[in-house]
Amino acid sequence: MATTAVDQTHGGPGPSVPAPPRPRRRSRSRLALRNTLIGWSFILPNFLGFGLLTLIPVLALFYLSFTSWNVFGAAEWVGLENFQRLLGDGSYHTALFNTLYYGVFHIPLTLVSSLGLALLLNRRLRGVAFFRTVAFLPYITSIVAIAAVWNMLFSPEFGPINQFLGALGVQNPPGWTTSADWSMPAVIIVSVWRDMGYYMLLFLAGLQTVPGELYEAARVDGAGAWSRFRNVTLPCLRPTTFFVTVLLTIGSFKIFDLILVMTDGGPGQSTLVLSQYIFDKGFVESQYGYSSAVAVSLFAICLTVTIFQFVWNKRRDA
Amino acid sequence: MKRTIPAVGLAAALALTLTACGGDTTDETPSTGDGGTTEEMGDEPVTLSLAGWSLSTTPEFQALADAFNEEHPNVTVELAEYSAGDDYDTQMIADLAGGTAPDIYVQKNLRNFYTYADGQQLLDVSDVAAGLDPATGGVDFYEMDGASYAVPYRQDAWLLFYNKDLFAEAGIDEPDGSWTWDDYVDTAKELSDELDAKGTYQHSWQSVVQGFALAQSEGAALDTGDYSWLAPYYERSLDLQESGAQESFGTVTTNSLSYQAQFGTQEAAMLPMGSWYVATLIAQQESGEADEFEWGMAPIPQADASTTGTDATPVTFGDPTGLGINPAIDEDKISAAKEFLSFAAGEGGADALAGIGITPALLSDTVVDTYFALDGVPTDDLSAFAFSTHDTRPENPVSETTAVVQNILGDAHSAIMSESDSIEDALAEASDRAANEAGIG
Repeated sequence: MATTAVDQTHGGPGPSVPAPPRPRRRSRSRLALRNTLIGWSFILPNFLGFGLLTLIPVLALFYLSFTSWNVFGAAEWVGLENFQRLLGDGSYHTALFNTLYYGVFHIPLTLVSSLGLALLLNRRLRGVAFFRTVAFLPYITSIVAIAAVWNMLFSPEFGPINQFLGALGVQNPPGWTTSADWSMPAVIIVSVWRDMGYYMLLFLAGLQTVPGELYEAARVDGAGAWSRFRNVTLPCLRPTTFFVTVLLTIGSFKIFDLILVMTDGGPGQSTLVLSQYIFDKGFVESQYGYSSAVAVSLFAICLTVTIFQFVWNKRRDA
Repeated sequence: MKRTIPAVGLAAALALTLTACGGDTTDETPSTGDGGTTEEMGDEPVTLSLAGWSLSTTPEFQALADAFNEEHPNVTVELAEYSAGDDYDTQMIADLAGGTAPDIYVQKNLRNFYTYADGQQLLDVSDVAAGLDPATGGVDFYEMDGASYAVPYRQDAWLLFYNKDLFAEAGIDEPDGSWTWDDYVDTAKELSDELDAKGTYQHSWQSVVQGFALAQSEGAALDTGDYSWLAPYYERSLDLQESGAQESFGTVTTNSLSYQAQFGTQEAAMLPMGSWYVATLIAQQESGEADEFEWGMAPIPQADASTTGTDATPVTFGDPTGLGINPAIDEDKISAAKEFLSFAAGEGGADALAGIGITPALLSDTVVDTYFALDGVPTDDLSAFAFSTHDTRPENPVSETTAVVQNILGDAHSAIMSESDSIEDALAEASDRAANEAGIG
């Protein structure tokens, strides 16, 4: 701006056209550039971390999945060999099955229970803040502590859960985390209990956006509680429900920490999931190439399911 | 003003990122001292870096460094701290791959040795190994294709710890070194009948069953794909937990029972455990964490009578802990590093380790004397025999497939002990998986 002004006052010989548009455009583009740079500088700290710690490793992962890299030395290109191996690998199939088993129960159960909690705690109750905090607490509790305490609760001989079941007259209470049949249900129960507080929070936020007039109108029309829920709450919550479902699905497919500390994939391979298989093949057995291929397959599964969800959501929008 | 904000933000962001990135690596970068220049170790000052873990609670690395420095005043050994547990290897592998690992690093167990040696991350130290006392345990475990890539300085072996007070209370004869596993199971049951405590405590680790089976069974090997030799050992373990002579596997895992608490607070009268527990038990009795009671060590029970008795050599298992040299070490520091390895695996290192209650790989008479002179170590003859006399086989024989097979057998272990699967089915599945995942059989 300053230079333009100077040029104009000391205008030398030349066409008597008033201020030419060029410098102004330049200054506008400079402003745009400046704004862009300011914008960039705001996201730079986050992006640098993301780029260095996530983006580059993820890109490297795709490359590594086509190699037989074992940490040391060069990564030898093996083409699709790792992926062919996946097809015939029984442990991979077990891990895939267990991951789906977990997801099929964990996603709907968490969805329903968190929505239920949100509806319960969306009223004007005395001490509602306290109950909301209580419901959210499991989510911020250390997962190692959660696993240790729940394992004790589930203890087949001395655990309170089986003692309670025994008092109810259950003859052969389940072995929970010490039984191959019951270990996955046990993990799912703990997982739903842990996650529902977090998704409850998202649903609570969603519930605040439902216009009160709609309920009023429904009530005037004689709609009962169930009808109001079905025809007002649920449709208004659809964006939230969609968001929660996508988050839950991805979170469910990449379940790792809870299983690692609670059952370590056992007994046998009864709770082995894909993330743990990736960890075992990579960090325990140093087969990073093959482990990357498993990770790519998990990525593909998550991507496919998410795309499907988006498409489905869009269709229902239309 | 407007312009300075992004500039300051950018600078701050850069500074933060750079410091964050630098922080991790600088800690473990070995300091480069002035190296000696001659092939033979001279008197020039040399600084070697040595990896260790949990340095504040694991005094063995400092003990070795100090003892070596006393003999070789020109060589300073600096410790680089790594995580304990399995993370040690993960971190070390990352540092080796990144070129920031120390000059000398520890082979914590044999499970990952193949990865290091095959990945050419260990210098050939056959000359050091050849110069060691032939009595040093576990030297040949580190051989691959005729060359040695590490030397053992510490070799724990599994023994049977027993509570003398509880045996006296039950009126049952203490172990005398003649036990087979059947004798052990019978005694455990008798003890449980007589006492409020359990007869024995077998921790939930797979090695508590599989380590002995591998060491003591004729023709047993991990890389054959046939794991039927595990069956009798599992039958006895299941018998123990079904008869109530031992806590059930489910109780041990769901309640996170610790072997230190079970034996130390007299919940169980016997405990098969590695010799590292001696130092822990003494320390815990001193601090009051463990009860005061008389205890002793006996040879681990044997598969049959051919290796029992104090005139035979009982067979047990245990992975040695070894030292290897990072091939990225400065050329002129190699001779000093090799000298350190010889010292640590030799009499000097063994004496320094025995003095702090660690079981050295070299168990000469003087070393055993040093060990048994420690306060609190039981001094009866059987304890001394058990501690000093054994044929110790590796828990993880070095092979390309060891890590994979151990993982598979770990799954079989939890399936059998939780009684989710029959022994037969679980072992058959392990064979199938070994064929599928490791190309064995």
